[in-house]
Amino acid sequence: MEKMKFLFTVLTACLLLSACSLSEDVAELYEKESPLKAEVTLPEFYSDDHKETIEVLLIQDGEKVNGADYVHFEIWKQDGTLHYYMEPAKEMGNGIYALSKDFKSDGLYYLKIHASNNGSIISPQMQFVVGDLSKEELEFLQSDIPVIESNNEHHH
Amino acid sequence: MGTVQSPSTENKKQNGNSVYRTIWRWHFYAGILFAPFLLILAITGSIYLFKPQIEQNLYQDYWVVAPNGDKLPASQQIAKAKELYPEALVTTFRPGESESRSSEVGISQKNESFTVFIDPYSGESLGTLNNEDRIMDRIEEFHGELMAGTIGDRIVELVACWAVVLIVTGLFLWYPRKKQNIFGVIIPRFNKGKKILRRDLHAVPAFWITAGMLFLIMTGLPWSGFWGNNFQSIVTNSGEGYPPSVWIGSAPASDVKTKDIAEVPWAAETLDVPISDIQGFTKLPIDDVVATANREGIVPGYTIFIPNDQEGVYTLSAFPPKAEDEATMHIDQYSGAVLADYRYDNYGVVGKIVAWGITLHKGTQFGLINQIVSLLICLGMILVVVSGFYLWMKRRPTKEMGAPKAPSITKAKIFLFVLIGLGILFPLVGLSLIFVWIVDFLVIQRIPAVKKFMNA
Repeated sequence: MEKMKFLFTVLTACLLLSACSLSEDVAELYEKESPLKAEVTLPEFYSDDHKETIEVLLIQDGEKVNGADYVHFEIWKQDGTLHYYMEPAKEMGNGIYALSKDFKSDGLYYLKIHASNNGSIISPQMQFVVGDLSKEELEFLQSDIPVIESNNEHHH
Repeated sequence: MGTVQSPSTENKKQNGNSVYRTIWRWHFYAGILFAPFLLILAITGSIYLFKPQIEQNLYQDYWVVAPNGDKLPASQQIAKAKELYPEALVTTFRPGESESRSSEVGISQKNESFTVFIDPYSGESLGTLNNEDRIMDRIEEFHGELMAGTIGDRIVELVACWAVVLIVTGLFLWYPRKKQNIFGVIIPRFNKGKKILRRDLHAVPAFWITAGMLFLIMTGLPWSGFWGNNFQSIVTNSGEGYPPSVWIGSAPASDVKTKDIAEVPWAAETLDVPISDIQGFTKLPIDDVVATANREGIVPGYTIFIPNDQEGVYTLSAFPPKAEDEATMHIDQYSGAVLADYRYDNYGVVGKIVAWGITLHKGTQFGLINQIVSLLICLGMILVVVSGFYLWMKRRPTKEMGAPKAPSITKAKIFLFVLIGLGILFPLVGLSLIFVWIVDFLVIQRIPAVKKFMNA
């Protein structure tokens, strides 16, 4: 009887312990993507006569990306009063691409970066503020309205 | 001399008989115990096979739309659903797979999930279904876990595994011991009296559908919670299964630091708003996700799972009728980068076999032909279960179970090894075997009345 109990316990324990889990780097065994990553540096924005420079650092597979297939910036204002369609950013070297713009009015803006390299296409979107927010813009941010997408059709 | 058998032949014959009786006994008890469940599986399975046709009929009003110009962007269709259910969280979006199919917006509200059907041309709602009310999903739940959650899942798995034992023991009992004769083997004997006909109506059809039953069991098992999950883990870890996150394993995470994500300001006055918190990445609009799906050539009929936390990703999941069209894609919710894109071609060899097994099991791989063949197997199973039960009712003595007498299992060495082998391959069978032995040892062998009843 004792023997049986022992056998039963051992078998149950084996069963529970052998319940396998996935190894951590199991994804390495299958088809892998090389996603582009964008790190954006925003300057302090002022609605004066000076240009502000927005920089993006592109990284792919842990390396800084030089000579990307394309890097375009698209900028618009939330209230709909302004929309710069896609403009190519200037390659600054060391994986950095930049665009300088003069922002003439205060408010809530959006920036969308369209970039592609080596099979990965990204379109991160950021919001930023020039000067101060208006009451309406603050209310917009606090409401749950989804961000209206830029309505351009020039997808690459 | 010739008329007297040598003791060793006599022994052999007796031994052969006791092996036969042992196997018969196991087949007998396993059959009685699991027959009701096999019946449930065969019946629910027969119905579930025809899910596409049944749902097409049931949900016509929700599904069918009249094509009229261009479809609205996904974001606007979702906004319509949000208007109807302002409190709800939008969890999924499924664009229609054809011009005349509505879009589906999945929402969750107060712990319940609903599907809002939207006409993609007008943006109007065609109605909302509580996912709990989808009858085919309930039938699937019945088929997969007897509507009893994890316990039900384990029971179904146990039944499936024991069905393998039934098939193996059944094949042994069916295997003709005398000279070859197709009657009673592959054709029932209709003119040899009722007793023989009853036996043949169980054993012969069972043989016909053996391969089909085994196929349904083996293709159904990867679904199960215990055997299936462990099996999937092992093959995925080996690099030959489904890539991670297709069946088990988690999706990659969106790669962005929390401080780089735009926050919703809490302050009531603009002066109090910390600008640096507001500035940052916003969630990728769903229209970009749809554009990515089109660009990457995902077969229509996919569902987009919308992330509702910071690390989540947009997951596109397509499990269409044919295995080779399957796709699972994860998209970074901020950058829109495709983080993983797993198609059928990226599955390992075992993954491909399992994927085919599943679409064949569900009857979708080859459409109607597939459904009919599977239905015939299910009907065969029902016939075999019912005729087996009938066989027992007719044969059993009034006060006993009517099981064949039990010789010690140790005499049937090969069968013992087969049982232990199955017990290792299917741990739930192994566990239940140990349980049976313990009950036998502690109860059946010690209480004379029970011993007599069970014919042990």
